[in-house]
Amino acid sequence: MQDIALSLLLFTPLLVAFVVLFLPSTAATAFRYLTLAVNFLQVIILLIILRAYDPALALQFVEQQPWITLDLGSWGVLKAEYFLGLDGLSLPLVILSVFVMLIATISSWKIAKNVKGYFALLLILNAAIIGSFTALDFLLFYLFFEFMLLPMFFLIALWGGPKREYASIKFFLYTLLGSIFILIVMIGLYTSVHDPSVTGKLVHSFNVLHMSNATNFISNSILDPNNVWQIGWYTARQWGFLLLFVGFAIKLPMVPFHTWLPDAHVEAPTPISVILAALLLKIGGYGLLRIAFPIFPDSAVYFGWFVGLMGVISILYGGLNAMASKDLKRLIAYSSVSHMGFVLLGVASLTSEGVAGSVYQMFSHGIISAMLFLLAGVIYDRTGNRMIGNYSGLSTKMPGFTVFVLVAFFASMGLPGFSGFIAEIMVFLGAFKSNSINGPLHESLAIVATLGLLIGATYYLWTLQRMFFGPYNLKGNLSGAHMPDVNQREYSMLLPLAFVALFFGIYPQPMITIIDPFAKHFAEFVLSAGKSLMLNP
Amino acid sequence: MTDLKEKLELIGMSLSFFIPELVLTSGILLVVFLGLIKREKDSLLTLVSILIFASSFLSIALNWEAYATPNRLFGGLVRSDDFSAYLKLLFDIAAILSAIMTWRKTNNQLHLSEYYALMMAIVLGAHILVMSTNLIMVFVSLELISISSYMLAGFSFSKRGAEGSLKYFVFGSVASAIMLYGFTLLYGFTGTLDFSSVEFVQQLLGKNSIAFFIAALMAIAGFLYKIAAAPMHPWSPDVYEAAPMPVIAFLSVVPKLAGVGILTKFILAINSFGQSTVDWQFLLCLISILSLTIGNFAALWQKNPKRLMAYSSIAQSGFLLVGIASFQQQGVHFMLFYASIYLLMNFLVFSYLQYFESFGLTTLASFSGAGRKFPWASILVLVGFVALTGLPPTAGFTAKLFVFTSLWEAYQVTGKEILLWLLIFGLINTVVSLFYYLRIPYYAFIKSGESSEKANNLTVENFIGLTIVLCLLLLFFNPGLLMGWINKINFVL
Repeated sequence: MQDIALSLLLFTPLLVAFVVLFLPSTAATAFRYLTLAVNFLQVIILLIILRAYDPALALQFVEQQPWITLDLGSWGVLKAEYFLGLDGLSLPLVILSVFVMLIATISSWKIAKNVKGYFALLLILNAAIIGSFTALDFLLFYLFFEFMLLPMFFLIALWGGPKREYASIKFFLYTLLGSIFILIVMIGLYTSVHDPSVTGKLVHSFNVLHMSNATNFISNSILDPNNVWQIGWYTARQWGFLLLFVGFAIKLPMVPFHTWLPDAHVEAPTPISVILAALLLKIGGYGLLRIAFPIFPDSAVYFGWFVGLMGVISILYGGLNAMASKDLKRLIAYSSVSHMGFVLLGVASLTSEGVAGSVYQMFSHGIISAMLFLLAGVIYDRTGNRMIGNYSGLSTKMPGFTVFVLVAFFASMGLPGFSGFIAEIMVFLGAFKSNSINGPLHESLAIVATLGLLIGATYYLWTLQRMFFGPYNLKGNLSGAHMPDVNQREYSMLLPLAFVALFFGIYPQPMITIIDPFAKHFAEFVLSAGKSLMLNP
Repeated sequence: MTDLKEKLELIGMSLSFFIPELVLTSGILLVVFLGLIKREKDSLLTLVSILIFASSFLSIALNWEAYATPNRLFGGLVRSDDFSAYLKLLFDIAAILSAIMTWRKTNNQLHLSEYYALMMAIVLGAHILVMSTNLIMVFVSLELISISSYMLAGFSFSKRGAEGSLKYFVFGSVASAIMLYGFTLLYGFTGTLDFSSVEFVQQLLGKNSIAFFIAALMAIAGFLYKIAAAPMHPWSPDVYEAAPMPVIAFLSVVPKLAGVGILTKFILAINSFGQSTVDWQFLLCLISILSLTIGNFAALWQKNPKRLMAYSSIAQSGFLLVGIASFQQQGVHFMLFYASIYLLMNFLVFSYLQYFESFGLTTLASFSGAGRKFPWASILVLVGFVALTGLPPTAGFTAKLFVFTSLWEAYQVTGKEILLWLLIFGLINTVVSLFYYLRIPYYAFIKSGESSEKANNLTVENFIGLTIVLCLLLLFFNPGLLMGWINKINFVL
């Protein structure tokens, strides 16, 4: 079981998607239950994985099979592998994915238009997300990374709101541009890296672990850390890092590459918004932690301050934009930009606290943003309108809903007792400590970033005040709308999310135990390898 | 007399390597003859033509070893080797697919015997062109392709068709004239017509570089015209728009790949292993960047699927040239891989465009709602467009990955910045191309049309389409199936 657990997690949705394609499109209920069954099966597999997972070991559940082996004569052998594994970085994100995909399926229950296509795409997306978080071969990762685009494009473009066509194309073009940057570096990396386990023959490897080891670079290749090429202002390695950084920052998204996100969120149907915010954004952060930083530690140290600065700018700028938003979903989308800024800040600190905080933030933001978008969806389902100004005094009519909103807003604000607090406090600690251990960040960045908390509190409390308190009133042409409280199906999604957000705020230890070994190793490795490569090029 | 006898023996030996070409030549005569005694719209002609192309294909594939070993034939006018043999296989496959497309084009099948005779003439010309090592042979076979394609382009027998055909002819004859003038100058400089010979290269090394540059540039211009690479591309959108669909599919593959084949041989010869005073690599990179950019950006504004595919094929020429621009053996291999995938992707898309055309979908906007009406066809053509864009999991991605890898390698060897620029431009262009490649699927799936009654899914197009899609997927997951074979090709000048 252990040696195929990840493959099962990955291929079950693909297989079922294939089955769905061949069922008659009238069997709408069957598609829903099949998808739900896949989600539950994934939960079971995940529980088995969690039982056997040992946080003390580095990489586990490894599956390594040859995939493409191509002898190119004098040029060497091209080797890509089917290489999956779990460690302290990928496990929290896989847990998140399985959980959020289950919630998304429940949230999709009411989709009535072209049900067959919808659930087939949802299943493909599911597999692609799990694949991205577990692949350790660059080509395999890239395959899953790109494979997410097309389903997501159609999910937004076919089931989205009025401006869905514009939003979906924008999403696709931005992400594809980012992935092209990643592709350039991928080509450079695999031509520069050889597989050390094969002797006597030159084997070009896509293995991310090989790429993360400076001794595996072919001497005098363009990205060889010992003999660096200069291209324009920077060395080839620095360009490589910057391209990867931009590629993943578009996905994250980081200011100024974030403009696709509000559009995509506003137009996407609720379950797709949930997946987009909770999972797709995380692939940006995951890519930085898995690929950009470990492969180019020297450039990571060199540009660390820049990454941290961009993180702080995202925190503040995203927050200010959220404050100015009139559309509830747009507000949540900008708050996502702000919160993902913490991920950048934590990673850039290169301290174990900061890195652990980043991973924790990705997990926590996944839970909280899923909840926030579901809540926005609850209102939208009832009135078809999301403008904050059109509502007031909702608490009198919808008390249950208001409780969930309070939980979600406070959690997202980073109030103690919720998972967001733990994550952000660790990021601040890391950013503050960075300078003292010769990390790249100055203390002032951490201080400025705390302003983000203030901005966050402002826009959330203001929204609460405007929408939920005061006399009950619906403006615009909504005045006659019927506003029933949260129903059973909505409870079944919101309760678990609220519970998880609270649980990991009060008792973070289980998650920390998983993340910590990775964070420690990552911070030490990147800092020491980066420094030594910078000193002796 | 012994001299004559030796020559006859040599010709006899050469003819034994010329079986595919002999098959095609007799095919031309046979089809013309059949046309005299048979009714016009007879599918017997299609069947016979497919058989002729297939036997040409089989005669090479079954005797691969014999055709793959380098052999100078007819006193050094042509050479049979594995590089040309591989391309010849591609031509034959393309011709078979075009013939099947013609068979499926139930309306407007006119003058089939002449049609197939011309198609065979083009394939024959392409066969000889990629084998040529002699400038005269290059010119003769190129003209065989050109003149036949001018006529084939007008086979819709409409006013537009005649206009397109005439445009193709006028531009084409000027390009040929320029090329021929370049050849004469080269002959004057070197004293030999055999551009693969040692004398040719040696003579070029000491020559005045400006005059030599102009002469070689003129010759290259003729090839670029056939490839439809910028700046020799403006004919293609007009011709594509006016010609029948099978003809466009055919013209976008066979003359283009033949041109790429001869360009590869020619430019490597005049590059003289890097000793030439002119930086041909720079020039080729520039042409490639231009083709990519012009093709992709112009395609953005098109409203007609045929014109869109014309600009797409200009951009695809740019990608084909990327493989050559690395000036490495491996790059040529990757170019052949790209060419094979290009053939598959192009025929997938064109056969569906013809299918949709038969239902009256001739503008992009008219594809609205096609996803409902033709679910299978729309999904399969979507895969074709995804492959043309170069996204995984299709072999289109693998092909792009390969050609750009060779470019990166070349940059690592030479350190020339233009190669890096080509890499960047090429990949950025991929993003641009997505925008127009997704337009037909966009209309088909996202815009809603009026009728939603479903068309029959069990059609020949869907069967062929599914087969090609499976090939494209298979070659992504296991490129070694094809690449392993291509890698055995030993490219020699």
